[in-house]
Amino acid sequence: MTILDVCGISRRFGGLQALSDVTFSVPKGQIVGLIGPNGAGKTTFFSTLVGLIKPDSGSITLDGVGVVGLKPHKVVGLGMTKTFQNVALFAESSVLDNVLTAGLLRHDVETARERALVCLDRVGLKSVADKMAGNLSFPERARVELARALCTDPKVLLLDEVMAALNPVEMQEIMDLIRELRDDGITLLVVEHHMRAIMTICDRILVLNFGRLLADGTPREVANDPVVVEAYLGRSVEGHA
Amino acid sequence: MKRWIPIAVIVLAAAAVPLLLNPTGYWIRVFTFTLLFAAMAQAWNLIGGLANQLSLGHAAFFGIGAYTSTILLLKFGISPWLGMFAGGALGGVAALIIAIPTMRLQGHYFALATLAFGEVARVIANVWTSLTGGPVGLSVPFVPPGFAAYSFKQLLPHAYIALIALIIVTAIFEVIRRGAMGYRLRAIRENAAAAEVIGIDTTKVKLQTAVISGVLIAMLGTLYAQVAVFFDPDTVFNAMSISIRVALIAIIGGVGTAIGPILGALFIVPVEELMNDLFSAGAAGLSQLIFGVILIVVILWRPRGLVTVIEALRTWLRGKGAQS
Amino acid sequence: MSFIQAILDGLLIGGVYAVISIGLTLAYGVMGIVNFAQAEFLMIGMFVSWFAWAYLGLDPVLAAPLSFAVAFALGWLVQGHLISHVLKAPSVAQIFLTVGLLIVLENGALLAFGSQFRSVTTSYQTMSLSLGSLFVSVPYLIAFAMSLACGLALWWFMRTSWFGRAMRATAQNPMAAQLMGIDTALMYKMAFALGVGLTAFGGAVILPYVTVFPGVGGQFVVLMFTVVVLGGLGSVAGAVVGGLAVGVIQALSALFFPIQLQNLILFLVFILVLAVRPQGLVGASR
Repeated sequence: MTILDVCGISRRFGGLQALSDVTFSVPKGQIVGLIGPNGAGKTTFFSTLVGLIKPDSGSITLDGVGVVGLKPHKVVGLGMTKTFQNVALFAESSVLDNVLTAGLLRHDVETARERALVCLDRVGLKSVADKMAGNLSFPERARVELARALCTDPKVLLLDEVMAALNPVEMQEIMDLIRELRDDGITLLVVEHHMRAIMTICDRILVLNFGRLLADGTPREVANDPVVVEAYLGRSVEGHA
Repeated sequence: MKRWIPIAVIVLAAAAVPLLLNPTGYWIRVFTFTLLFAAMAQAWNLIGGLANQLSLGHAAFFGIGAYTSTILLLKFGISPWLGMFAGGALGGVAALIIAIPTMRLQGHYFALATLAFGEVARVIANVWTSLTGGPVGLSVPFVPPGFAAYSFKQLLPHAYIALIALIIVTAIFEVIRRGAMGYRLRAIRENAAAAEVIGIDTTKVKLQTAVISGVLIAMLGTLYAQVAVFFDPDTVFNAMSISIRVALIAIIGGVGTAIGPILGALFIVPVEELMNDLFSAGAAGLSQLIFGVILIVVILWRPRGLVTVIEALRTWLRGKGAQS
Repeated sequence: MSFIQAILDGLLIGGVYAVISIGLTLAYGVMGIVNFAQAEFLMIGMFVSWFAWAYLGLDPVLAAPLSFAVAFALGWLVQGHLISHVLKAPSVAQIFLTVGLLIVLENGALLAFGSQFRSVTTSYQTMSLSLGSLFVSVPYLIAFAMSLACGLALWWFMRTSWFGRAMRATAQNPMAAQLMGIDTALMYKMAFALGVGLTAFGGAVILPYVTVFPGVGGQFVVLMFTVVVLGGLGSVAGAVVGGLAVGVIQALSALFFPIQLQNLILFLVFILVLAVRPQGLVGASR
């Protein structure tokens, strides 16, 4: 069953074609990696999916509902949200309040608080719930951001480099969490620079280059695709891993 | 339960004050206006403190409230109690009209745009003579005293009405601050894009806050009209003495906190009156000059408001307690 | 014909508006401060010039450099001792510090000079040149010429002097400027003092056709904000365009609307610009 269908999405910023005719669809419960060199349009693409950026053309269908032209909060209400690459927490609020606020989308304050604690527990941050979000380390903040996104009860979750700056142990924890979320029925799109992580957890990988979809296949297929290797991975596949 | 005790004590103490003052005297008037301005600053605090949108145009709604109930009373004999709700409704509509184009502005731009809107309201009230009587102003007609008619021989009932108004507006502020809307407003204030992607309708929440704030201060406009008895467009639509003053009270006290506007009003209104009282016999301008100096000193000393003095005092006392 | 006459008058008045508003945009461009007390320096400039005329027998227009100097010195002190303390404070504290300053300056003037209206008499006050069927008011023309000279001097200063370049560097990136050895605190003082000095200069040159009293600044506050917002807050070139535009708008609205509504037109233009294009019509940002 298709949960997310993207068809012909294009977006231009002045002279730069940021996204060009991006088309693919994702069945429910897949973990899809989105890779590409810096400036390939990955973050722009995520922002377009949730409605922060309006595409010039194309359609996005989430669980049977068209979402192009909807405000972000509507898209989130329909079940798709994203995390921010450079982390956009409510820095002067507590960790718990950050996550709780997201729970208010579908619950009252008390239920949202319970939900928030569950979400914090899942990312392993229940112990810092009362700390001010701005005082956490960068990896912790990225995990709060993940918990906050989870607390909106998404069907599709877009993770923008949540593993940046993590040590190998922490990275393994997040990878396990992503698998668990998949098993819970959440569909995940993951932008990540750590090649080994992405090759390990993803069922499928999309390669974006200059805003255009270059390849779409299993990790093995993509890694062996000569076009991809030439355009992006080069000889650094092993080097990075 | 325990946190209600100090609140009850403060309310009772405030309720006792008017009984101690000369009922026909000067200071009961000052006390009434202190409460009234505290309530107005609290209404402003919703948009200025929780949403962090520094409105400098709240005189527009306040004036609409004062004029609506008074005109309804003058032309149709409608009790100001009802007129207050009519004024509140109109104030809410005006707040919505102003909020729609200005909402996406931030910081200084929002302050400037609302300032201009307030001035537009003042000019309209001056020019639309058939409705408002123009620059001459309006006198609230004398009707036989009685609670239903909102007419009293003394200031004492006005003082209590102002106190109740302050309690109600403060309660509304606290309920909003602690509730779902408070969380949403904090989220918007700290990061609007992030607020959207966790499902907050930022536009709707800001509009709601602006309208609630506008309704409340418009209703307080009726209270003001009933106490002042006479007013003109340049008083109730005044940028300096209403819009900026109300914002100033909340800021001097501590913006975004429930106690801030109350502290601010307790400080500013009596100090201003005292200055006028002490120096009006001297040279013109001296009292306002000193008042301005005091404001500058407070802002430099406590940019986050007098509420931080109380916090510091508390910490200090706690430290003392821990030592002994 | 009256239409063209109005545009001409508007441009002449607008030139002065540009100069008095440059300070506002300069302080914002360099420090991010919106000075609500800016118009009070116009009042100070007018008073300095009036006293120079009354006691020294100086023509108010020639007294303009004196007005500039007094306001410059005052601005230097205000920046160094007051505003510098709130540069990193929340914008509420910034706005209300300058509001406090406004109250102090206006009432200080009231205390010192009393509330009466004062005006000057000059030989050219009522003169006008005829240009075909158009009239050019001499006081307007002189005020415009002085403003133009002052504006050009500022432009030359900002372009060619080390100070000017350092100030522009500070506006663009204070951190980088500091790393390059620029004393940013000095630049802030310079920018603020220069700005209020220009405003006071403008106050002096309009004295032949505007009476001065302690509350005169209040009549110019919204006007000055309209000028800078129209041109883009922070943009000096924008303030020039904004000033001319506001002058013309004012002169034209005087043709079509009763006097009470003229300010309304200005406010509405102001709101419209803020709502539609808050970065200003010129579009050049800081």
